[in-house]
Amino acid sequence: MLQYMIILLDDASTSFCHYEVPSGERRLIHLDDLRAAIRLAMIENLTIQFVYPDYELPQEYQEVIDTIDHSDIKPLLAVTPDADVVTINGWEIDNKSLSGRVAVLRTAMSELLAHTRAVKDLLAVVQRLNVVITDLTTLTDTNREAYMHWLNEVGQTVVELYINGQSPQFNLLTDRMMLAAMNNCGAGDTCITLAPNGRFYVCPGFYYDDPENDVGDLRRGFDIKNRQLYKLNYAPICRQCDAWQCRRCVWLNRHTTLEVNTPSHEQCVAAHLERNASRQLLTSIRQKGTFLPDKPEINEIDYLDPFEKLQER
Amino acid sequence: MDDIKTTESSWQSGIAKNITFIVTKDCQLACKYCYLVGKNEKERMSWETAKAAIDYILGHEADFPEASVVWDFIGGEPFLEIELIDRICDYLKTEMFRLGHHWFNSYRFSFSTNGINYHTPAVQAFIKKNISHLSVGITIDGTRQKHDLNRIWKGGGPERGSYDDVVRNIPLWLEQFPGGGTKVTISSADIPYICESVLHLYSLGIHEVNINVVFEDVWQEGDDRRFEEQLFALADAIIDGGYYQDYACSFFSEHIGKPLDPEKENQNWCGAGKMLSIDAAGTFYPCTRFAAYSLREKKPIIIGNVRDGIDRNKLRPFLTLDRLTQSPQQCIDCDVASGCAWCQGENYDAADTPTIYQRATAICLMHKARVRANNYYWNRLFRKLELEGEREDYESNKRTVEPQNC
Repeated sequence: MLQYMIILLDDASTSFCHYEVPSGERRLIHLDDLRAAIRLAMIENLTIQFVYPDYELPQEYQEVIDTIDHSDIKPLLAVTPDADVVTINGWEIDNKSLSGRVAVLRTAMSELLAHTRAVKDLLAVVQRLNVVITDLTTLTDTNREAYMHWLNEVGQTVVELYINGQSPQFNLLTDRMMLAAMNNCGAGDTCITLAPNGRFYVCPGFYYDDPENDVGDLRRGFDIKNRQLYKLNYAPICRQCDAWQCRRCVWLNRHTTLEVNTPSHEQCVAAHLERNASRQLLTSIRQKGTFLPDKPEINEIDYLDPFEKLQER
Repeated sequence: MDDIKTTESSWQSGIAKNITFIVTKDCQLACKYCYLVGKNEKERMSWETAKAAIDYILGHEADFPEASVVWDFIGGEPFLEIELIDRICDYLKTEMFRLGHHWFNSYRFSFSTNGINYHTPAVQAFIKKNISHLSVGITIDGTRQKHDLNRIWKGGGPERGSYDDVVRNIPLWLEQFPGGGTKVTISSADIPYICESVLHLYSLGIHEVNINVVFEDVWQEGDDRRFEEQLFALADAIIDGGYYQDYACSFFSEHIGKPLDPEKENQNWCGAGKMLSIDAAGTFYPCTRFAAYSLREKKPIIIGNVRDGIDRNKLRPFLTLDRLTQSPQQCIDCDVASGCAWCQGENYDAADTPTIYQRATAICLMHKARVRANNYYWNRLFRKLELEGEREDYESNKRTVEPQNC
């Protein structure tokens, strides 16, 4: 069931996920389309998330936006006190401006591994940190090992933060401890995207890939073909997986395996390295005292890609 | 949609890797039901491409752990490229031996041909050289009328059927491959000729007729009833004529028309993804049906090439595909689901989105008609055998049947 509508206010709206925003001209959504989208969201009971470009919107847009309860996703450069989610592309970060905020850090794997200190510092100030590894598909045996060590090292910082009374939220490490089931990309299932052209897409990535690949528009409404394939039950690998924090990005799935319901080997391996690091983190925190007493242990497993387990059957 | 008795073409079924060389996209014929919409005379495989494919495959033995291999050659019409095929097969044999490959002496060369060039010296020399490792099927659709309805020569001018050009080679073929079976394809216009065509093929000495209705959405209102009537007539003819003792027709199988268990019988029907198909450009496909020349609506699904190898991520959807995940509820709940087949390539081509996870159901009514006729056949046959006291003897000597993928 659809619950969320993401509205890209401009073609240059910031990316908050794996997809890249092409560097092109600005194209602001038409004001009438914005009004129509808000009206549709009210009718369909959808929560709106507005995604902003790095420039200030005209006043009349802000007035229309404020006619509905919503969340704002803004790039760091345009951050204002009302931003609910701040996206970060790069490492020149003023941590003070991010204090208490939800931050999305988009980075290549090599950059992430080279900026351990910066990530630790961020974790100490933000309310929540989501790291999006933008070149996940290049995960190799070599950087896989390095990533595993990196997760464990940052995990030690998370333990220290907990000991100091903080409750850092970090998608790569703490989400798996908190979750009881899969909680990942809802694109096409719970979530739909409106692009500045007035058409709907499964997610922003599908729009930037091909604007003709729409799933409806403001006049026709939504028309998501094969919508069941965006649901967990229709994903043979994912439905029996317990790396519940995995982003399970349907756009990446489509790019790497040509099917929205099938993750790549690299996606699975990365998610399982994170899962296993979460397992270690949970054990470490519990050695310091009672922690999440209602949550079971995370089981030890002997694989990094559930596809391989499926093939053994 | 068919179950057939064990045949040469199903050699090592289930444990053999099937590797297909699309040696040419050309064919002498322009069959009206042919799913190959992009046939042409230009795309012929070069020796360099074929060699590169072989070197890649044999050089990555660990990636191909199957105990045996079927080297399949298709077109268009594969025997148009007999010189290339002969060179490929010679190279395969010497390389498998030189490398000590586990497929050496556990391989087969397989052909499905229109039969037109079967008698030519080049083809005959190839057959004689490789006969102990060879499967050849000739496609003949039945009577002259039925065959020439669809299987016509390409080119301008008045339509010219190919029956006479094929049937003259049947005796030679059966002499060399006594158990050879033929493949018959049924489209809407062929329905009135099914019974007489199968009987005609039996009369030519072909003991095994593998017959399929096409998966494409070509069916007209009332086709299922007409199909059923033809199968009733065929059932009567086979039983009354005693053909059931020595001949087989894949339309009739004891194992079709039953509900399927959602857990124990959840496997995919189609072997796409477990196979490998290579075209003239050296591009790899999960099955020939995913090459551009096979697709009406969709882009090809490419899983690699002879230079870069196989992108295993592209195989994951194929290898994790199961029956329930791709089937609509009507198929999951169907009381006569067993034996109802699908082609992953046609599913993909007909799907609403570019996915292999949407099962096409164009053959639904045809399958149900087949099940009704099938029930009639077995009930009548078994009663006859019981009344004649031959049931036990029949059961102990009956031919083994197994599902045919496509």
